Parts: sequence; C-alpha cells; structure tokens
Amino acid sequence: MSASTASPVVRANAPALGAESPVAWPKRTVTTLGNGLQVVLVESRNFPRISAQLFFRSGNAIVAHTAPGLADMTAVVVRAGTASRPSRQIEEDLRRMGAALGTSSGADSSAISASGLAEFAPGILELIADLARHASFPAEEFERERRQRLEELKIERTNPGFLASERLRRVLFGAHPYAVVSPTEEQLAGITREQLQEFYQKHYVPADSLLIVVGDFAATEMLERIEKIFGAWKAHRAEPPASPAPPQQAGRRVHLVNRPGTVQTQVLLGNLSITRRDADWYRLLLANTIFGGAFHSRLVLNIREQKGYTYSPGSGVNALHQRGYFTVRAAVRNDVVAATLTEMFYEMDRMRSVPVSAEELTSAQSYLTGVFSLGVATQDRLVGQLSAVYLDKLPESYLETYRERIRALTAEDVMAAARRHFDSANAQIVVVGDRAQIGEQAALFGPVTEYDAKGNEVV
Amino acid sequence: MTIPAKPLHIPVEHATLANGLRVVVSPDRSAPFATVGVYYRIGFRLEPQGRSGFAHLFEHMMFQGSENAGKMEHIRLVNSSGGMLNGTTNYDITNYFESVPSNALERVLWLEADRMRALKVDDENLRNQRDVVKEEVRVNVMNQPYGGFPWLDLPPVAFRNWPNAHNFYGDFADLDAATLGDVQKFFHTYYAPNNAVLVILGDFEAAEAIRLARKYFEDIPPQPKIPQADVSEPGQTEERLGEVEEKLGPLPAIAIGYTMPPRASRDWFTAGIVDRVLHGGRAGRVYRKLVLDEQIAVDIDGGADLLDTNGPTQMVTRIFHKPEYTSEGTVAIFDEVIEELQQKGLGIEELDPVKVKFRSDYYSMLEDGGHGMPRFGLMHLLACFTLFDGDPHKVNTILDGFLGVTPEQVQEFAKKRLVPQNRAVVFRRPAAAAAGAR
Repeated sequence: MSASTASPVVRANAPALGAESPVAWPKRTVTTLGNGLQVVLVESRNFPRISAQLFFRSGNAIVAHTAPGLADMTAVVVRAGTASRPSRQIEEDLRRMGAALGTSSGADSSAISASGLAEFAPGILELIADLARHASFPAEEFERERRQRLEELKIERTNPGFLASERLRRVLFGAHPYAVVSPTEEQLAGITREQLQEFYQKHYVPADSLLIVVGDFAATEMLERIEKIFGAWKAHRAEPPASPAPPQQAGRRVHLVNRPGTVQTQVLLGNLSITRRDADWYRLLLANTIFGGAFHSRLVLNIREQKGYTYSPGSGVNALHQRGYFTVRAAVRNDVVAATLTEMFYEMDRMRSVPVSAEELTSAQSYLTGVFSLGVATQDRLVGQLSAVYLDKLPESYLETYRERIRALTAEDVMAAARRHFDSANAQIVVVGDRAQIGEQAALFGPVTEYDAKGNEVV
Repeated sequence: MTIPAKPLHIPVEHATLANGLRVVVSPDRSAPFATVGVYYRIGFRLEPQGRSGFAHLFEHMMFQGSENAGKMEHIRLVNSSGGMLNGTTNYDITNYFESVPSNALERVLWLEADRMRALKVDDENLRNQRDVVKEEVRVNVMNQPYGGFPWLDLPPVAFRNWPNAHNFYGDFADLDAATLGDVQKFFHTYYAPNNAVLVILGDFEAAEAIRLARKYFEDIPPQPKIPQADVSEPGQTEERLGEVEEKLGPLPAIAIGYTMPPRASRDWFTAGIVDRVLHGGRAGRVYRKLVLDEQIAVDIDGGADLLDTNGPTQMVTRIFHKPEYTSEGTVAIFDEVIEELQQKGLGIEELDPVKVKFRSDYYSMLEDGGHGMPRFGLMHLLACFTLFDGDPHKVNTILDGFLGVTPEQVQEFAKKRLVPQNRAVVFRRPAAAAAGAR
C-alpha cells in the first residue's frame, strides 16, 4: 500500500470541475448549387488532410421489395471503373493522393466518401465526381464483386449479432422496407448489371444530394473548386414512393433463432420508435443514456458490474429517416437468458415508473453534451455530426443548441419519454442461441416462434 | 493540380518526475478537450506462467476501485464530466485513457493517480470481472466466425518462448485459478510510476499540465526493482505450420506471418514500407494478385504492429479464399507475389505513391486513430516512443525513416526476410468444409 502521507486533502476527494469552456462549433459554409447539390464546407486545419462525403438520398429501402441488396451492390461496383479510369487506375490514383475511398449504402442513402492529403484535395474531389457521374460498371468487375458479396452473405449468417438484428428488423418493420437488411443468396444471384446501371442513373444525381467537405483548406477557394467540378452535372430526382406502415405489436413475443451447440446467447429486444425530427428526440436520447446508453448506465451496472452476465450490454436509439427503433442488447452465457431478460424489463419498467434521481439526470446530461462536443475535434467526426444534421434536414442550429436543449430537460421529461418509447409490454424479443439450452427460459417471456440460421421459420 | 505539401509539427514537452514517472504533454488549443493516457510497461507477454490471460483480467480490475474511488466511481466521474474512457491490454503495454471536456482535466489526473497509488478490490470484484471476461472471450472468439483469427492463432505456431507464444486472452482454467493475491502482487510489481508514462493532450498550457501531473503523481512511491522478462526468441530455421478448426464460418482462411526485425533498426523501417507495398489496400500487391487478378480470394488484409510493440512481432497477411481452391494452392499463389518482389524488386513509380499513402495514414492515425477519442493515435504513439525509445519527439521524426527507404532496401529485405524459415502459416479450416477443392 501507499506509504506516502503527503497532501492527503488533495488526495481524498475528486477535484471539482473547472469552469466549462464554450464549444465553438466551426463556421459552416452552406450553399446549394444550381443543380440542387447542397454543399457544406468546414475548415479544420490541424492536420493537412481533408475528408469528403457525397450522399444520395436513396438506399436499400427504396428497392427492398423489388431487388433487395441492389443499392449495396451498386455502391460496391461504383468504385470499380469509370469511363476514363479502369479499376486498377482508380486504386493507383488513390494511393498517389494518399487517399482512402469508401462507397456504401445504408437504408436511406448511398455515399461516396474519400479522405486524403490536403495537397491533393482537387484530385480527390475530381475522383469522387468521376465515380458519381461516369461509373462504367464493367461486367467482369460486377461478376467478381457479386461472388465476393455472396461469400460475405454466407459469413454474415454465422454471426450471432447479424442474425439477431436481421430478425428484429423483420419483426418490427413487417411490410415496411426497413424490414430487409440483407438479400438472400438467391436474390443476390438474381441481380443484374443492368439493374445496377439503372439504379445508378436514377439515384446518383445531384438534385437533393449532399456534399460535405471538412479539412485543411480555405472555404471560399474550395467552394469555387467544387462549383467547377460538380456544377455542370445535371439530373433530376424522382420522388420516392410512400412506404407501407410497420405493424402494431400486441404483447411480447419471442423470436428464437436456433443455433445448436452455441456457447453464448445473443439477446436483442426492441420496439418501434422515433426519428431525429420528432419533438421527443432529446428526451429519448437522455432516457436512453441513463438506461443503457453509457458505460455508467443502469443496465451496465446491473447485468455486467453487479451480476457478471455479459461483457457488452447496452441500449440504443436507431434513428432511420422514416422511422426509428429502440433496442436493448447483451451477449450472455446460456444459463442466464431468463435472468437477463428479467433484468432488462425490470430496468425498462423502472425508467417508466420511477423518476430518475437528480444526480443521474445531471450526470447523463453532462455525458451527452460532453461527448457530443468532442465531435468538433477531428475531421471524420465533424463529417459524421454534419451528415446527421444535413441528411435528416434538421434545423441549422442543431449543433449550437444541442447542449442547452439537453440541459433543459427534467426527470419528468425522462419518465415521459421512457413511457412512450420503452415499450416494455409489447417489446419483441430476439434470442440467438441453442434452443435445447435456452428455449424454456425464453418461453417464459411470450409465445415463441423459431427460425433457422437462414432466416426461415421452423414449424 | 497539387497544392504544396505542408509539414506537420506536433508540439511536445516532457518531464520526468522525482519518482520516475515520465510525463509527455502536447497542447492543442483548437477545441476544448483533453485526452489523457496512462501507459504501463506491462502487457500480455509478461503475465505469469500458469496465469494466461491475467494481464487482461487485471486491466478489468483497474476499473473496480482504488484508494479513494470505489467500484464504478472512475466510470461515473468520467462519464458525468462529459467524457469517455477505456483501457486495453497489448503485447508490451497496458493503457488506460480518457477524453473529456478540458475543464475535467484535473479530475481525470486525480483518478489516474489514485489508481496508480493503490488498488482497492475484493474477491467479489474478482469473481464478477472473471465472469465478464469469459463473456468477452465468448463474444469475441468462441461465438464469432473467425474469432481470434489470427491474433490468438499465430503466436503459438510462430514462437517458442512462452511470453510470446501463449494464449493471451487466457485459458478459462487459468482465469479461474487467479486469486486476489495475484492481483495485488501484479499491481505492486508492475503498476509503478517508474514503469509508466503519463500523456496529456489538449486545450491547456504545457506548463500547467506538467504542474498538475506533479501535484497528483509525484508523491506516489516508485518500485525499486521492476523485473524484465526475457522475451527473446531462439533462431528459426524451418517454416512453421499450424491448423485451427473454424467452427462457424464457411470459408477456408489462412494467416501468414513473417517475423519482423528489431524495433528502430534499418530493416524495421523497410518492413513498414514492404508491409504497405504488399497490403496497402486494393492497390497492394497481395490484394491485386489474389482477389483481383486470380480471383482465388474473397478478401485479404494485412499489416504489422511495428510502432506499438517492443518484442517479437510479425507482419501478417490474412486470406479468406473461395472453397473451390485449396489452401495450399492459395499459399503457392501468394508465394508468387513474394518471389516477384524478391527477383524483380520494385520501381520508384510504385514506391513513391506507397510513401505518400504512408504519410497520409500516419497523419490520420495521429488525428483520430481509434476508440472514438480525439488524438487517440497521437497519445498512443507518444507513449510508445517514450516507453520503448525514450524519446517522445520521435513523433515528429519517425516518418523520415520510413520515407527514406529505397527500392534496393525493399528488394534486399524481401530476399532476406520474406523466406519460409522466417514465417509461420496457420490454416483455419472450416469444420463443415465441402470436399472437392481444386
């Protein structure tokens, strides 16, 4: 033990916090080009790099019922060749500019993103524009990528986290396109190169799209350059069709994905919830932080630090563009599945019925505002923060007012949000594990439907 | 069109306290945050024999309570200050770190000093964290396709000296055998100020940060004698092969590891460049050959932990290949890539872009680098340069060594080091493998 007795007063108590420094959100240059492309620029000059992301407001949801996985495949092959650059040259150009490229598609959007050395900023932006406008979808590259994707699909089906989230999305969203997170092998095999080109023509358009660039540049010069590179690009965007409503849930149900012999059970439960544009958004964020959204949250304290059931418990608010959903998750040893669910529902119900303490409230408020503010410190995090605001078309003041909005909330707000959005009575419960070991435990919480790892119902 | 390159210079100041604790400070006034890391020079290589996984289990215990901050207090005090925290166990170091709004800097230093001074944990804490760690191993390894591949698979095949060659996550029997006595002994042996470095980054004056470090840390007593284990490896004269069954994933996978030269040697810098020639994304030679040209592999990646290790380490290539090809045949095609580099070398038109990308990746690592924390990478490298090389200023000069590598050095390295007698290969074969691979 420590032999030192020096300055015991200094040592016994944690120092009080100093005065809070104001967080200066960086100045944004926001403009919409004549072709409808919205441009958001932020100077961040500590490191001689830039980070750029071009978003199109169409993703996997828009084709979920016609060609699942088509938006993903389009994003994968879009980097594999343009009218003037074969695949190999694209990769060499990237390396020459110290750049990394990512092309991806989520439920609501598709994106081309690149980061690299600031000294090559013009070339990096030209490459993004080339991919956005002149992708050639070489037949051979398409076949190669589709085969790679097929093998990835097979691996996904051996991953318990994937199986749980896939099942929960199916259950929560029903006929709504958010129900589909991945194609079947047969659906993937049915996708054609022509479909990719059609998706690309229709959805990779400047109208209503968004380009965010953060990094070591002068915004006025950068804007001129972007106008030159992207200004001549013209194409309209068709209005997306309306989606069918997701189902109303009546009572808890258990959805068991059976994987015989598995050494651990993935537990995931959830219910439909709201988007970032909902008036309840801040209240729900705060309630989630206290419940299971931080290391120092009730769920983590309970099932990890007190009971040792799990390494990685947590809860989250998944805000997609049209709807959101709330989830609670933990990977637990097989003999505590029922005990884990009991504690999850206990903690949800406690949030719904007993006001949180003043200490928990201010602690969670500080956590949310503090971590949010750390987002100004790096280029990639700034791009992430900005894309949440501008993609979802939140008010321009979202970043600046976030702290005061969170600070203004009360314990009553938190309880109201929990009552509305932690739907304990109708939560849908997914367990991925060995039915022989966990089936009886899971059945205590509702009628059980069983699935195999392919996603098929077992009858 | 290209804009002139701007040199990067990171401000670095350092001091050594009376008790031997090294303090490294790098002010950054661009945003009101502070990132703090305490790095101890103890990793899983040095855990006691018969206690595999202990260094990592111990890392969990460091969050269970210290002299004046009980269980969950560290986490509560950091989260409620608006910050995040974590810790990781590595080969040669264990680190504990926080990113907080800058007004919480002093509080974080108090917390880290408190747990450097004395750990206050009981049997219940140990039982609890043993359960948590077992679920960590299950979620990351046993119930995950390709879990632990290849960081747990390669060392026992590649190395002969127990510190380098054992199961770093720990056999469950060894985790069960760990006692509270082991915990306190390990703490007193290795968690001393003279076996650590404190890194402080962010929005403050350097002198003020050093003053606060003195205030909270300087009276923590040092350990007179910190044992240094022998982590050297006997010379290797043969190719080493191993097999591991893949219980979940459908694809055969291969890990090929070449043992790297000693830290900061001329060859070590060359290794950093060779790694990027072979593995640098889709323009890298291995991806190009196996995924794009021959289309045998579905995915490959690779790398070498050069900057943050200080003992035997490998450059590792991971290959996931189509089941219709044999793993042995796949290795033969990989070998063609190596032979080509040995026989023909590479031209400046390939080497120069590799260096540009190397520089860019280095900056990116300093700025962000992981764990969702600003400047995590800068903190990590400042700590490693201090603990392993005695010089945090290397953060501003280390690039020169990599960017000075010549084509001749690359070819010579390939001939000398990328040879079967310097490598280990692990085949991760799916349990339910289909017959008929060609």
